[in-house]
Amino acid sequence: MTARRVEQQWNIPAIEFQGLCHSYDTDPVLRDIDLTIEHGEIFGFLGHNGAGKTTAINILTTLIKPTSGSAKVYGFDVVAERQSVTRCIGYLPSEVRMYGHLTAAENLEFFAKLSGVEEPRKAVAETLEYLDCADLANTRVGTFSTGMRQRIGIAQAIVHRPKVLFLDEPTSGLDPLGVRQLRATILRLNHDLGMTVFMNTHLLSEVARVCTSIGVLNHGELIYKDSIEETIRRFPDEASLEEIYVRMEGGV
Amino acid sequence: MIATIAMHQFLSLQRQRVLLVMFITMLTVTILAGVLGWSSHHTIVRVYDEAVKILASTGRPAPPNPFLLKPTLSLLSNMVVYIPLIGALLALILGHVSIADDDSIGIGRLVFSRQITRTNYVLGKIVTAAAVLVLLLVASMIVSVGSLVVVNRAITGGDFGRLALFYALSWFYLMVFALIGMIAVLVTRRRSNALLSAMGAWLVITFVYPQFTSGLRPTQSLNPITDPASTSQTFFRISSRLRPFSIVEQYKEASGHILQTAPAEAFAQTIQRVIPIAALALGLLLLTTLLVQRHDFSRSAQSE
Repeated sequence: MTARRVEQQWNIPAIEFQGLCHSYDTDPVLRDIDLTIEHGEIFGFLGHNGAGKTTAINILTTLIKPTSGSAKVYGFDVVAERQSVTRCIGYLPSEVRMYGHLTAAENLEFFAKLSGVEEPRKAVAETLEYLDCADLANTRVGTFSTGMRQRIGIAQAIVHRPKVLFLDEPTSGLDPLGVRQLRATILRLNHDLGMTVFMNTHLLSEVARVCTSIGVLNHGELIYKDSIEETIRRFPDEASLEEIYVRMEGGV
Repeated sequence: MIATIAMHQFLSLQRQRVLLVMFITMLTVTILAGVLGWSSHHTIVRVYDEAVKILASTGRPAPPNPFLLKPTLSLLSNMVVYIPLIGALLALILGHVSIADDDSIGIGRLVFSRQITRTNYVLGKIVTAAAVLVLLLVASMIVSVGSLVVVNRAITGGDFGRLALFYALSWFYLMVFALIGMIAVLVTRRRSNALLSAMGAWLVITFVYPQFTSGLRPTQSLNPITDPASTSQTFFRISSRLRPFSIVEQYKEASGHILQTAPAEAFAQTIQRVIPIAALALGLLLLTTLLVQRHDFSRSAQSE
């Protein structure tokens, strides 16, 4: 990363798609998506199952290459500048799986080292402390409940203090208390650490309470993108975000 | 990053008790080879002693002790069979678990969203497998040396060197199977299929392929026979061309020459037998690296 780009990073969009397309074999999953998400936003990416939300995250986390178009994270191209992109991002997949035979601290230390953290042990202790789960450090991950796994999953995603955090269906499998805790954590990460959050979800309650802007994906096409306030203003007849979403998706 | 992956993999193998199981199996097998060698030595010496007594009572001279005519390392001749059978299976499992965990439970997605390159990742895994096999074979060699010392009271420098050479060759041979274990995970969608196909490859290399080469004329190794009937000539010509590529046979023959349990041959000829094994190991190494570059770790968790 050049010094100039570091200076510029707060002035450039956190995430930027330009004409992004992706196909699995011959099936198009993402169709010509143009999207810009500014630094500091909590962006909710809405869409039905199979709409292409996870594919978008897979592209942004450099796991797959787009078929055409470009995707950038803080100005870095996900294909041409993979190393710079991975330095900026943290990722929590929909189902958090880690090495069950290792302790939480051992798992986190491994991921911290892979992210190039200079003092991994210290970073792990600080992260666990920050997420109020220091007591889980020396317990094997294989014995954890879904909620505990999710907390350790967030810890692995932020252990290297990324600028942008990708969450793929983060509340799946969580009980109501777990959902509430996760929501609070997302807001803290955004407020305290200034992380931009990109969250895939189909739960509108999450979006309404946490996100600052939303995008709606329908069969691979981005059919809507705006701030939450503007969305509610634009659809004055709808009583809730759910109704707005249903109207946008063209459902009943 | 290679060191990070390697150290993490070593810790995982240790925690999953894969290392423990491998060491126990390999050392048991080595001890078994030593015990069988000692037992055969003991039996021959006892029979010889009895024969000497009988011959002495009839006033006839006794022939020299036949065991003294056998090379010292022949005590461990069973290891040449155990390594392709049991050692190769252990190496296969080692290669399988090295990648299967990351692939089938979706950890690969977390790993490759980090700064590590796929080349460093796969090299880390290969380095770990290579190091584990070195440790395993060194432990086995120590037990072998112990067996030889117990039976012969001493071991010469030459014998030690030959033993080291045998274990070095065995390392090359086992690396082939560790890489096959990894490749099977990368080319199949399910963990169970990966293990089955790797074992299928082991079966073909160890049992099926040799049947098309030396196995067709098993008596020839005991008692050279004249050429078979002319109608089969083409087939036998093809099978003898296939023979140099049977790595299990090349391994057994090279090992036999190194341990001096087979008729003597030029060292260059023994080296020639090692070339197909080394070439295959190198080819599989390149293939594993290539497959990791192309593997879609983003879809792996859904495939299980």
